[in-house]
Amino acid sequence: MSDPSPLLALDEVTVQFSGLTAVDHVSFQVRAGEVCALIGPNGAGKTTVFNAVSGNVRIHSGAIQFDGKPIHNLPPHIISGRGVRRTFQNGGLFAERTALENVLVGLHAAVPNNLFALVLGTRKSAALELEATRRAHELLDVLEIGHLAGTLVGALPGGQQRMVEIVRALATEPPLLLLDEPSVGLTPPTRTQLGVVIRRLAAERGIGILLIEHAIELVMNVSDRVIVMNEGRKVADSTPDVVRADRAVLEAYLGHA
Amino acid sequence: MDSAAASRAPARAAEGRLFFRRRRVFWLLPVLLLFLPPFLNQYQQYVVNTVLVYVLVGIGFNVVVGNLGLLAFSNVAYFGLGTYGSALLMAKLGWPWAATVIPAGIIGALAGVITSIPAVRGVRLFYLAILTLAFGELMRWTYVHWESLTNGSMGMTVPSAAFPLDTDRHRFYVFLVLAILAIVATDRLLRSRFGRAFEAIRGNEVAAAAMGIPTNRYILLGFAWSGFIVGIGGAMFAISVGQVSPPSFNMQELILEFAVVMVGGLGSLIGSVIGAAVLTALPQIFISFPGFQELVFGVMIILVLLFLPRGLVSLLARLSPLFADRFYRE
Repeated sequence: MSDPSPLLALDEVTVQFSGLTAVDHVSFQVRAGEVCALIGPNGAGKTTVFNAVSGNVRIHSGAIQFDGKPIHNLPPHIISGRGVRRTFQNGGLFAERTALENVLVGLHAAVPNNLFALVLGTRKSAALELEATRRAHELLDVLEIGHLAGTLVGALPGGQQRMVEIVRALATEPPLLLLDEPSVGLTPPTRTQLGVVIRRLAAERGIGILLIEHAIELVMNVSDRVIVMNEGRKVADSTPDVVRADRAVLEAYLGHA
Repeated sequence: MDSAAASRAPARAAEGRLFFRRRRVFWLLPVLLLFLPPFLNQYQQYVVNTVLVYVLVGIGFNVVVGNLGLLAFSNVAYFGLGTYGSALLMAKLGWPWAATVIPAGIIGALAGVITSIPAVRGVRLFYLAILTLAFGELMRWTYVHWESLTNGSMGMTVPSAAFPLDTDRHRFYVFLVLAILAIVATDRLLRSRFGRAFEAIRGNEVAAAAMGIPTNRYILLGFAWSGFIVGIGGAMFAISVGQVSPPSFNMQELILEFAVVMVGGLGSLIGSVIGAAVLTALPQIFISFPGFQELVFGVMIILVLLFLPRGLVSLLARLSPLFADRFYRE
């Protein structure tokens, strides 16, 4: 917290879709090791903020800085390479592939294999692929799902799928992780486990986590900070306790106190 | 926890063999094929050589439609350009056939790069299909109308080549080597991070990009690889048929090539090899019954796609786990 420079900084970011303002001059920051939740009703612009950060949506004005450098309007694979990795609300996994293969895709940038060496079948290129496989197994072990390596992801229950997706996003050890509604479709016990994992990643690895979430208990349990959005604007940005106490925020934007 | 760790060990060993796994048993087939020619008459030998041509045509096509999952149908253009490229280099410049093989591949690869432009620019589905089909037709139109070069619809004669390309039987060995090289190289490609990137693009482009995969670069690479392999198939076709003419690269030909991929098993390398063998060789049995060939061909496609939507390779996977984990995924 003593580090004055934030990991991610949005400065007056505005996104428009054919004249409609989806995100309206939004500014906020995420620091290393901090879990920051982004909440608000449907259509508030949360996912658009996410997509702007990950490069899937162009911003019209403002700036997004990661690690002190501007990343807005760069292609998604470049932003991913800089160390901003994300999960998706649904469909982000390759269902007909095994957990291991999904993580291997996540490791793509970490396997500097060259086409010609590969096709010629050099020892080095084989070693690189084997090393990637070994690394993928290790990563699965970190979240204790190593035993699922050979299982097709489509055959896994929701909670384990979510873990595979988080492992895949973490594969290149990104400093910042964007989680888009990770608790959707999870049973209450798996939600609790997910919360534990999120806290662990922030606390033990110092990863900055930006989290879109509708499950309000999860948000309150894991977040250091909660940002509330409505109609494209940021309407609150504070600790969970303060936001929770702000009955107006909850009633207006979440529909329950 | 202990049992989980224990069960992980063998699973891990199995996964470790995913890449560059040496399965020597698969080399048995090409070795056995070396002894095949003495048992074949000249016509049968020609059919077997054609199978080998279609092995390249099929595995190249499969990279784009099966692995990248894009509805791009310029394959017949890569094939035609490779064929004409090789034939013209021989006829006009007097190059020996062997020297035209790699250039034919490069011509195919360039055509692949050109046809990847719409896909790279985000054109998908039917729009991509029709654009790439149009490119194939444009090339056929070019072979017909650039008469000074190609001799138009009359077709051009490919100069006869010296040993070891003088007879079908001799060519067989050269073709076999090229087919094996193409299969091994493509297998390595698909089994690596390149293949995983292709599959990721097919599965979900947005997620693939989020994993750091420069999707456009891989789409371009997939098309180029496809064009390269199919272009080499074209060079083999040129020397094999001896006479090159535009109808060899029409829509019907494209349907045959697509059928090779589909009947073998979309997305499966070995499936395309099987598809090439079955669809090239089987109709020949009915060669003496005019019209019956097309019927057999059509019925075969319908039956396979109805009962084995994953292609003939899925049948092999069911029969032997060896195939299941080496070449086929559900």
